Parts: sequence; structure tokens; C-alpha cells
Amino acid sequence: MAEEILTAETRLVGKEAARLDAVAKVRGQARYADDLSFPGMLFVKAIRADRPHARIITLDLSWAERHPRVVCVVTPEDIPGENVVPVIYRDMPLLAVGVVRYVGEPLALIGAETPEAAEEAAALAQVTYEDLPAVLDPLEAIREGAPQVAVPEAAEAGNIFTHMVIRKGDAERGFAEADVIVEGEYRTGYQEHAYLEPQGVIAVPEEGGMAIYGTLQCPFYVQNAVAAVLGLPLSKVRVVPTATGGGFGGKEDVPSQLAAMAAVVAAKSGRPAKLVYDRAEDIISTSKRHPGVIRYRTGTKRDGTLVAVEIEFYYNAGAYQTLSSAVLWRALVHAPGPYRIPHVKVDAYSVATNTVPCGAFRGFGSPQVIFAHESQMDELAGRLGMDPLELRRKNALREGDETATGQVLTESVGLPQAIERAAELCGWKGLRREVDEFNRQKKFRRRGVGISTVMYGVGMGAKAPLLDKAGAYLKLEADGSVTVAVGNTEMGQGATTVLAQIAAETLGVKLSDVQLAPVDTSRVPDSGPTVASRTTTVAGAAVLDAARKLRARVEAAARGFFGVDEVEISDSQVWPSGEPGKAVPLSEVAHWMWVHNWDLGATGWAEGAPVDWDPDTGLGKAYFVYAYACHIAEVEVDLLTGEVHVRRFWAVHDSGRIVNPALARGQVAGGIAQGIGYALMEELKSEGGRIVAPSFTAYHIPTSMDVPAEFVIEFVEAPYSGGPYGAKGLGEVPLMAAHAAVANAVSQATGGRLREYPALPERVLELVEGA
Amino acid sequence: MRKSGPVEIVRPKDLREASSLVREGGMPLAGGTDVFVRVRKGLWDPPFLVYIGELPQLRGIEPREGGVEVGAAVTHAELLRSPLAAQLPVLRLALSTIGAPAIREMGTIGGNVANASPAGDSLIPLYLLEARVNLVGPEGERSLPMEDFILGPGKTALRPGEIIRSLWIPFPEGKPLPYFRKVGRRRALVIAVASLGALFWLRDGVVEKARLALGSVAPTVLRPREVEKALLGKPLDPGLLRPIADELSRLVNPISDIRATAAYRRRVAGNLLLDAAARLPRA
Repeated sequence: MAEEILTAETRLVGKEAARLDAVAKVRGQARYADDLSFPGMLFVKAIRADRPHARIITLDLSWAERHPRVVCVVTPEDIPGENVVPVIYRDMPLLAVGVVRYVGEPLALIGAETPEAAEEAAALAQVTYEDLPAVLDPLEAIREGAPQVAVPEAAEAGNIFTHMVIRKGDAERGFAEADVIVEGEYRTGYQEHAYLEPQGVIAVPEEGGMAIYGTLQCPFYVQNAVAAVLGLPLSKVRVVPTATGGGFGGKEDVPSQLAAMAAVVAAKSGRPAKLVYDRAEDIISTSKRHPGVIRYRTGTKRDGTLVAVEIEFYYNAGAYQTLSSAVLWRALVHAPGPYRIPHVKVDAYSVATNTVPCGAFRGFGSPQVIFAHESQMDELAGRLGMDPLELRRKNALREGDETATGQVLTESVGLPQAIERAAELCGWKGLRREVDEFNRQKKFRRRGVGISTVMYGVGMGAKAPLLDKAGAYLKLEADGSVTVAVGNTEMGQGATTVLAQIAAETLGVKLSDVQLAPVDTSRVPDSGPTVASRTTTVAGAAVLDAARKLRARVEAAARGFFGVDEVEISDSQVWPSGEPGKAVPLSEVAHWMWVHNWDLGATGWAEGAPVDWDPDTGLGKAYFVYAYACHIAEVEVDLLTGEVHVRRFWAVHDSGRIVNPALARGQVAGGIAQGIGYALMEELKSEGGRIVAPSFTAYHIPTSMDVPAEFVIEFVEAPYSGGPYGAKGLGEVPLMAAHAAVANAVSQATGGRLREYPALPERVLELVEGA
Repeated sequence: MRKSGPVEIVRPKDLREASSLVREGGMPLAGGTDVFVRVRKGLWDPPFLVYIGELPQLRGIEPREGGVEVGAAVTHAELLRSPLAAQLPVLRLALSTIGAPAIREMGTIGGNVANASPAGDSLIPLYLLEARVNLVGPEGERSLPMEDFILGPGKTALRPGEIIRSLWIPFPEGKPLPYFRKVGRRRALVIAVASLGALFWLRDGVVEKARLALGSVAPTVLRPREVEKALLGKPLDPGLLRPIADELSRLVNPISDIRATAAYRRRVAGNLLLDAAARLPRA
């Protein structure tokens, strides 16, 4: 990105434009997956395994087939292409054959005239099994003699799907040089995405192929999966995301599975087929955040300078690979935290168990290790007798520093500013004194202040740079309005508004003149997934690229239109340079171009800056740029009940240039709420491989009463030369930082050390009474 | 009569017809905040539902005999808004923790009582205030104290064809200090892990009379009368009440479930007494 664009005065970028989709959503006009209906549409229901690990002896669907409203039944033999849900590996079948590996694994599909009939028919399926020994815990799954869960071709050894390392410096020497060493084991459980809209897709047979409509983040993944199961060329599968009621990673790979199921029913019956989960089916059968067992050892000099860290962690991946190797890689790179550490040793494992496959969730493997590294920092501060903020300030990465993977940070490192600004906003020292004073006065209540600092590698990173790309197609209409087509989706995060702002800014048109076309895989080249906080940065750069080309053409035309050498365009007006009095609406120039057969379309393309990685040492340029954040939480703990209330919260982020501050603050506030839930209350229990009570009555997410009355959210903007107008990613970072600040505040208030999420009242009371 | 949905809902014209429909096996339906959830999950499979939520005889909030009579189909929100309930602060404290605003607008006091959950938030003040449950059925009307009406988790003294007509809630003598606290995993829309309601009558800085009621720590809401007696003559000083709190912990009979362990509930039951003492004025 040219230097001038980072410093340019902007008309729309950096301004609080209202969401383009706000009115339709508020009025209930936005159409979500279940709102769509097609003539002759069938309803799909999966017959699912109720054993964690078993051989399928018989699968008798004759009663189900006889149900009067059943139109078709699909078994593995009916799949026209490959029986697979392709993600990174190809180990997960669409429908189980021979063996089931987790409770909820699909065995067969019913297509019926009504949802009730599909449900009734599914209940008529007769399955007999021979149970196999099941293993549900990752530490047990890697023991000698543990039952084999992983499909061998997809695993490195036994049930270890993936083992990755970082070897930087010499950890042993580092610890020998350390004056203070802390050590701890941390445990985290599942986190459920709890998107408002459950999973849902509709497969519609169309001329020579299949169209898929649905609630999803990654249309090109779905295109690939449907083509694989139908045995069709990619050109015959078209994917159109509907309005999507939240994703958070839960709609990254899972919609591929749903779409493939609906597609095989649609292909066999020749009729549109809808598959929409209710909440219980969604919770039982879809991805979640990986539970983790995480061990850290961290050493510093007496003055707090970090010298060494040794980390070993195990993530429960569930029965199939899905996205676990990618999740593990992000966790690996993020495990040492945003600090200068000369000696780093990390061993990361993802392990197969007979449980539902885990997958992408905002933060993508990093929140678990962030809980650990931020706890270690506070434990070190305690041992050193040092202010925890001071310890972070001392070790925080700055421009020119080297990360734990040996990457030299050459630009856009806003972490030190974020820490300073957060400290200033909350009045750190005064706040700590205020809390101490409160604690002296109250018998049964204690307050605590917690801090966390995080870094976030924007984009796919060096494990999958092939996915870090995006296309855009811009069209100037003959009336001066602009249509923008991209391949990345709006799932509630505000992408369409931000991309429209970038298009309008660059073209010199009013925001209201820009319309985002519905995403359709047939419109633009494969633009990679809508994940990894990359849409503003990468899709935004593609829009910028197309908009610049189109603007150059409009300027050329306008020079001819006016018969001058130079023109200016702004706010949908065009005029000869220096003669604003001669301005005409852009619509006139657009019409003139249309009359004179100008090409009014432009394509744009962007890819992430180069990255590299050595799998043997874990060293390299892991991500092209990093975002940073510093969060501070104040909590109050009831010493009689263990209940925790987050009273106040301060969040400062460096995500480069912020394109839309209002939307950005919304993303931060939402991430804080999700982080509070992760740290304090979200717990999904399972027994014998079965998730018990899959509902929001038992799985608690924060309500408006559980988030602080006071949120202070600010941005320190360290522009990134590779991002449009200097923007980096933001989406995942707020959640990543928030939970750790809350956890540290709870520990500080109780005088104990929280080592397991969530900090339920019962667990906190134990901390209080053990302290 | 009107039908709708896969489960038939019958709309009786008056209380008498409602009673005879219930006698035929119909399940009374008012706000539906419990009934619909359980029917939909298949936990309850009534032949039909009898919608009593709008019967005028069940909708009143009237002063009566030194108390207030609340129709069974009065919603929690209506009761919270009523000036008569303002004279029963402990009732307001408890009702305002039920579910969330939408649930309080739909759910009814009669429904909460009939549901007989040991975690029922409205039951705590009804036990504390020694309310009576007025029933109407094929054999006429009768009235039972709360403690005789609720027999166990989900179990009541309702006879075939009987429905709850109203609750009679007496105003307590004097101005007792009210306390209510519900402990759960979050601050709203949550089922109590343990709850304590209390009324304390103080004289000269010591307890002259006390009533306690605990939720979610026994098969029914519990009135620990031994502890109520033990409090007599004591100041509301958390520093002095630890032995009585421990006694309260011993007395309760909780279970472990998905929300908490029995040990935690036991501990918190006693601790809530200390919390009451710490939060209430001492004189």
C-alpha cells in the first residue's frame, strides 16, 4: 500500500457509517436460512449414532422408508461422488460406514414432505451396534494401548492427529539463567458458539448442477464439499449465503457438512432439500472450542525480564481432523504471548477422542493458551513483587523486536501504546488503591483488577497462505451507482458496511450510492474463507484494487467529458481540477461512459503478504502482521457464594486504521461479553461421550445483566502498510483478551489462582476458601 | 372452544368448565412458560391443554382479610406492578428475579405454585408470608397452607379436576426486614442453585421473630424452624451467627445436579444467612 494512502485525509474511512443491513434486520426483512422456501422442497433429517464408538452391525431403514410422507432415504451407497466432508484432511465421512466414532455422527438421511415426518421417520431407523472401547479424554487417548479413534491416514501417530513445535534459543539454558520460575497446569472446557441462528442450508437442483443457500461463513468451502459428494465440477455448484445470524467460526467448516447432506438428498430426489438444525441438534453435532490441558513454565530475571518459556498442551480434537491442525497451529504461534522471550520451547498436540469434532471458534485455539500465559504473567508478577502491568510493559513486543517464532516486527506494533492508553483510561494505580480500600472495608466482598495483553496474527498465516486471497468485482452502473461483489460474507460482523466504505472512499462516491451484491460463488474467484479476522484487510484490499482501476477509468472518461487534463471526483461529483463550480453529478459521467461503450466493470485481487514457516523448528514469519490489545477488568467476588460480577471494563486495541469505529466498538463489546462467558459461566457437560442438557437452559451465556455497566473501548491505530487505508484485523481479538483479564481479576480478588475455566461460583468459592 | 397447533388447546368459558375439562385429563395452561417447554420436549404429553390464562375469576389482585388475594393467572409482572404488592417487599424482591422481563410478563403466580419446583422463586416469599392456596374443583372450594399444598418436586395436593384459583397472602404484622437472594451461574434468566428468603422482626437490636425459607436445597422449599428459633434474641451480626449458619447448612438436604454439587448448596445455604445479616440494618 502506498504511503500516501496511510496518511490521506479520508471522507468515509474512519467514520461511523450506519450498518447497511441495519434497517432490514431491525424490520425483520432480512431472510435467514429457515426463511427461504422453494416449491416442492423436502425436509432433511439425519439419523445419528447414539454410541461414542461402535461397529455398525445393521442399519435397517425399511420402516423409515415406509413412512407415508418420506420421499427418499439416503445411505452411503446413494452418494454419487465421494463419501467425505473435505476440510483439511479427508478422514471424515459424510455418512458413517462400518464404524461410528462419536455420538451424533450421521449414518443416513431422510428426505420427507414435512419436518415432522422427517423426524418421525428418523426415529423408525433400526441400528444395531457392537460397542467398541471408547476414549473420551485426550490424555487417556495418547496412552499406550488406548483404543484407536483416529483414522490412521489422518494421524501422525496413534491418536495424535498433529504435533507441532517451536524451538527457539535453548530453553534449558534460559531457565538456568532465570531468577524466578513459575509453573502451572491450566484446563479449559468446551465453548459453544451460541450464534443466534442455528445451522441451516437448502440445496436446490438447478440446470446441470446444484445451488446451495444457507447460513455460512465460507461459501467456497461449501462449493468444494458439495462438488465432492455429488461428483460434480466446481462450476456446477453455486453457493449463496443467506443473511447469517452469527458465525464466530461455528459456520466455517460445519456448513460444508450440512450442505453436503442436503445436496445428496436433493440429488437423489430431484427436489430442493432443506436441513435446519434445532438448538439441541446443533449443540450435539457441531463444532466447539477445543477443550485443553495446558502446562506452562516461565522464567524471568529478578527485574522481570522474561528469559524462557516451556509450554506443552493437548487439545481435544474430537473424532475427526476437521480444522484441528490449523487451530493447533494458531495456538502454537500464540502460546508464548506478545512478549520478547529469547528461549522458547513449545509442544502442541491435537488428539483424537470419541467426541464431536471441535473446530473454529473466535480466537481459533488461542484463548486457551492465552488463559495460561496471562495467568503465568500474573503469577510471575506476584513472585517478583512487581505490578502486573509493569511486568507486561517491560516485556511487551515493540517495533523491531523478534517474536517467539523469530519474526522481526518491522511495522505496526501498537502494543506499548495500547498498554499505556489502557492504564491511563482506568487510572491503573488509583484503581488498584480504590480496590484495596474497598477490600479493607467489606467483610464478604472482594474486588480485583485484572489485566491481559494479547497479540493476534492477522489472516491465515504461514500454515495456509494459499487461502489468504480475495477477489472483488465492481461495476459502475449507468446512473452512477455502484455494485460491489465480493466472496466474503456478512455474518453480523459488519463486513459489508466496511467494504462499502472502502469502495465509496476510493471511488469518490457517496456511501449510499454503493450496494453490496449478495455473495454468490459464481460471481467472483475463490476468495478464501471469511475467517481469521481477514475480511477488512484482505477483501478490503481487493475492493480497493478494483476501485482504483475503476476510478482511473472514470477519471479518464471525465477528462474526455470535460475536455481537460485533470479532474477531481468526490462525494459522487466530478469537476475539472480547480473549477469546482463546473461540477456535475457522477451519474452524468457514468451515463456518458455508458453511451460511449466504456467498460464499466473492474476486478480486484488481493493476497496476504508473503509468510514462511519451518515445521521442524516452528520458526519463521508466521503472519504478515499482528493486531494487539490490552484489556483491564474490575470484578467483585462474593466470598459467601463465589459469584463473580464484572463491574467495569477497559479495552484498548491496535487493529491498525479503524474503518468504522462504531462497528469496531460493537465487535469489541461483543467479544468482551463472549470472553466473560468463557471465563465465568460457559460449561458444556458430557457423560460417556454424550453432551448432557444441550440447551441454553443449562448452557449459560452472559445476559445484559452479566456484562459491565461501564465499557470503555478505544483504539490506538498503528497503520499497516499492506492493509486498505492501513487497516489490520479486529474480529477475534476482543474475545481473546477479555477472558484472561477477567480470570486474572478473579484470582486477584480471591487471593487464589484460577487454573480451570469456567470460574463458576462453586469453583470460586473453593478458591476463596483455599486462599 | 378453539383449537390450535399439534397439541389441542381448549378455551373454557368459565371456571366450572375449566374444572371439568381438567377432570377429563386436560392440563391447565396459563402463561405457558413451563407447560410449552415441557410439552415441546415431550416430557409432558397431556391429551389437551386447558387455557385458563384469561379467565376473569383468576385475574384479580384484591385486598382481602388483612392480606391480598392474587388470582392464579396473574403474571409475575402484573404482581410486581401492583400497589398492593408494594406492601410485600419480600414478594417483590423474589418476583423480580424470576427469569427475565419476557418470562415475568408471561409466567403466572399460580403456574409457579402448581409447578412445585424446589427452585420456584415465587414460592419462597409465599412460604415466608404463610400464604394459602385457594383451590376450586368438582367438590367445591378448599384452601391449604403452602406447606401442605406442595408435597415434593413437581408434586402437589391437587385432586383430579382441581385447579388453583388464587393465592391469599397475608400482610405480616409490623414491618419485618425483608431479604431475598438467589444464587446462580449468572445474574438473570437462571434457575436458582440455592436461594434464601427471610423476614426478621427486630426489637432492641435483636431478633424478636424470624422466618426463613430456602429454595433448591431440599425436595421442596424449606422452612428451617429450628434455625428460626435459634435466631431469637440474637443481633443480626454476621460475626456472631456463624454457628447458626453452620446449623442451617447441616439442616438442608440438597442434591447434586448439572447446576451444582450438594456440598456447595449446603455451604451456600448457611452462608446466605450471614449475607442477610451483613446486608440488613442491625436495628
